[in-house]
Amino acid sequence: MSTEDRGNRFLGPVLALPGIVWLLVFFLAPLYVVLAVVFGGLDPIFRTAVPIWNPAYWDTTQMRYVLEHIVGPTGFFGPALLRTAVYVVTASLLCLVIAFPIAYYVARLAGRWRGLLLALLIAPFWISYMMRMLAWVNLLANDGLVNRILPGQVDWLSGRSEVVVLGLVYGYVPYMIIPLYAGLDRLPQSLVEAARDLGASRTSAFFRVTMPMCRPIVVASVLLTCLPMLGDYYTSDLLSGSPQTSMVGNLINETVLTPGQTGQAGAFVLLVLLVSLLPMIYYVRSVSRDEAGL
Amino acid sequence: MSGRRTGWWRDPWRKPRILVAITVGYLLWSLLPVLVAVLFSFNDGKSRTVWQGFSMRWYWGDPYRSVWYDDSLHAALVQTLRLGIITTLITVPLGVALAIGLDRWHGRLPSGANAALLLSFVIPEILLAVALLFVVTNVALPIALGTSAQVVGLVTYQIAYPAVLVRARLATIGTQYEEAAMDLGASPMQAQRRVILPMLMPAIVASAVLVFADVIDDFVIVRYLSGDSSTEPTSVKIYNTARAAPTPALNALATLMLVTAMLAVVLGFAIYRWIGRRSGHDGGIGSFTGEA
Amino acid sequence: MADPRLDRRSVLRTAALLGLGIPAAASLLQACGRPELTASDLRIASPDDPVRWTIQDDNQPIADGLSPESGPLILYNYADYVAPGVVKAFEKQYGVEVKISTFNDTDEAVQKIRTGSVPYDIYFPSYDQISRLVAAELVQPLNHTYLSNIENVWPTFQNPWYDQGWQFTVPYTVYSTGIGWRDDQVGDVATLDNPYDVLWDEQYAGSTAIIDDWHTAMAMVGLRAGITDVNTDSARDLRTISDGLSAISDATQPKVTVSMYSDLPGGQLGVSQMWSGDIVNAQYYLPKGQSVDVLRYWFPEDGKGLVDNDLMVVLKDGRCPVLAHLFIQHMLDEKNALRNFGFIGYQPPQRVLDTDRLVADGYLPENLATAAVKQEWFDSSYRLLELDVANDQAWHQVWQQFKAGG
Repeated sequence: MSTEDRGNRFLGPVLALPGIVWLLVFFLAPLYVVLAVVFGGLDPIFRTAVPIWNPAYWDTTQMRYVLEHIVGPTGFFGPALLRTAVYVVTASLLCLVIAFPIAYYVARLAGRWRGLLLALLIAPFWISYMMRMLAWVNLLANDGLVNRILPGQVDWLSGRSEVVVLGLVYGYVPYMIIPLYAGLDRLPQSLVEAARDLGASRTSAFFRVTMPMCRPIVVASVLLTCLPMLGDYYTSDLLSGSPQTSMVGNLINETVLTPGQTGQAGAFVLLVLLVSLLPMIYYVRSVSRDEAGL
Repeated sequence: MSGRRTGWWRDPWRKPRILVAITVGYLLWSLLPVLVAVLFSFNDGKSRTVWQGFSMRWYWGDPYRSVWYDDSLHAALVQTLRLGIITTLITVPLGVALAIGLDRWHGRLPSGANAALLLSFVIPEILLAVALLFVVTNVALPIALGTSAQVVGLVTYQIAYPAVLVRARLATIGTQYEEAAMDLGASPMQAQRRVILPMLMPAIVASAVLVFADVIDDFVIVRYLSGDSSTEPTSVKIYNTARAAPTPALNALATLMLVTAMLAVVLGFAIYRWIGRRSGHDGGIGSFTGEA
Repeated sequence: MADPRLDRRSVLRTAALLGLGIPAAASLLQACGRPELTASDLRIASPDDPVRWTIQDDNQPIADGLSPESGPLILYNYADYVAPGVVKAFEKQYGVEVKISTFNDTDEAVQKIRTGSVPYDIYFPSYDQISRLVAAELVQPLNHTYLSNIENVWPTFQNPWYDQGWQFTVPYTVYSTGIGWRDDQVGDVATLDNPYDVLWDEQYAGSTAIIDDWHTAMAMVGLRAGITDVNTDSARDLRTISDGLSAISDATQPKVTVSMYSDLPGGQLGVSQMWSGDIVNAQYYLPKGQSVDVLRYWFPEDGKGLVDNDLMVVLKDGRCPVLAHLFIQHMLDEKNALRNFGFIGYQPPQRVLDTDRLVADGYLPENLATAAVKQEWFDSSYRLLELDVANDQAWHQVWQQFKAGG
């Protein structure tokens, strides 16, 4: 063992440590604080959350309250959770339907237009989400352009699920296109060519060679889109403002600063975390596998 | 290449007319609403929907409500830029060091850290925001709602960008350069600084631009962790005002943000190309977008 | 071991788990400096039970004749609820900066104030939080020598039931809660048997709204059903209110918002539960060229509806208490109060305003004469009171259920 090697061995930990400590303190430890709040008590007169740090004294009232009101006759949280699932799934599928052909075209076929197209596709990425929503608020207002172009007067911005879903699609499509493009761009063209040489038709080459290779890319892209959507509340707030389109993000946002309900917001945070944990782990594993393969 | 020379309509390999239509249609759909919003920032009237003639009133003409004169609007712009710059300055070194460190340290702790890093990348933002809000309001740390809490939240949420980009670049560099440098007598630290770091520059610049652009667009974390109104950045201002009584000054504010983001990206891309050419790694715009 | 929250060892262990080290853990334990209170410390004021709050030894008013701080003065207020011109005039007069922070509802506001992380100076709540604010020593008593303009306000507010001797509060605005509508979209609401019913009328689905404030909205639902105790603690009444909320949700999917003052004139809404100040304000948000005639407002003629007033209080954690007093004095000034009225649409309880002549004097357009708030209503109409802890929780639960859209 030379001295260089030893220096080398310490270099990794030394460089990584600040980042690891940061993640420990500001990413993992806060999750414990959430637990302490959810299973904590309440200030007697303001009913704000008072965290209980020792698990031995944890109080499950808030968690039970949330769980008991998800299903059954008093299950008033249930519809919002179901709505979230429906919105997120529908919006993600629509995103995929829109994003896949575009990413495929730009990555594999666009030729010399590729740079320009890519720049334009990325543009929404740099435009603030709020501004893009604001743009639609203006367009869909009662005296907005949409109502003036289309026949009939429609109250677009008053509690319409389809408007919220379209808002989500509009907002999150760029997050789908970029990873899809990146993945498709890396697919080896030679395999498709080989399939064609072996007599596969264009369509069957696409479905039997390209598609299977795309699957992990598609899954990862869908995950990257629907995970942030799960926590969205502002799209519904801006494009509807009605409880009829509340998502789980709205439940969290409404309760987090309401007296006596902060712990419930924490409980919803834990629920969303649990639901998204599996897809997140799947994503982490697939990415780690990619890294190992490089 | 000869296949590409023939017109696409005769090329048996593709049938992209529908794809072209979808792509162009999508681009119109994605960009036109924003262009309309930008257009209305120049409206002479108070309406954001009815065009009443061109004016710069909402930028500086109006003595109370234009971006130039309304303190709350330019306070928002200043806070946005402040968060963008501070967060980028902390995130990028932290993330780059973490990436290099994790790349050469194997074991349970580093692979756990790697998993946590990737989790922080995909976790729904509101979860992190609420968790940090609970921390700031319940634990007596020297972090208060406002800029310090916002920076902590943003760095945590963004640290994966530089880390992931740099690791991808490290994987393509391999170990031979570093070994060569050390064979020539460089210490491990010198080898990092003199050899590896310059080769990583394109990835570092790209991640800095990504972090900056992402931070100035951030909404959830900065809203939950904001203190008084001077720490509410543009996105929060847009949200609050859009739900109350917006004037075209809001469109003007959003337009200025858009211009800032575009400038940052163009500038970043120029630097990226320049460094890339010098270090012999000529990445296209694709590798600039954080596709890793 | 009586109180698990104060178990020092467990805090230290947790801190160690979090990797915080002992110094940080010690500061963790100092986190709670506020007085420990129990639910019984809460004394609820009402018109029948006026309260004079005790001024604690450690929370005394500022001394007389101090010179103002250098600022900035931080206001904590609803959006668009103070006239920029009036604020600018104050900034100019004292050469200081005034910052305005906004909140969406007062629940959220109190929570943020309690964290103490922002040194807000002046808060603009309704009187329904006053006992909590005083009990927790979040507000500081006023020094009346700075506030000679109190003479300008209605006598009833110089000794209000919620704060006898106005030790902590001065009135900011008065308003009624009724129904606003556009007469080009909705028929005459005032002639209906029960005008509140219009918000449940399916033909207006998609263009209605109710106020995003649990107490105000739920009280209206109760009044429609004949529940005149708008602070009821009867479970049956609350169930009636809950059913009314479900019904309105099914019938018209109302927006739940506080932006009706721009949505109604903008045409987004046809009819909405509304504060009188918002309908007055709405005329300034009409599109160019549209006549103010389309706006209408209903409030029970006999005054049997909700009337309220908002306050200005000086927060204890603020850094500029002297400036805060001067600002309040500034806002109580006749000229400034009227100028503020002209911008925000909310009427100040100023003696100089003759409430029967608001139309003649040009403060209200003729079609909004109903938005004038009369002094005598404050003796006879329904008031939203602060609720005790258990009842407050019950009301919030019903509201949460409604807001979940379930």
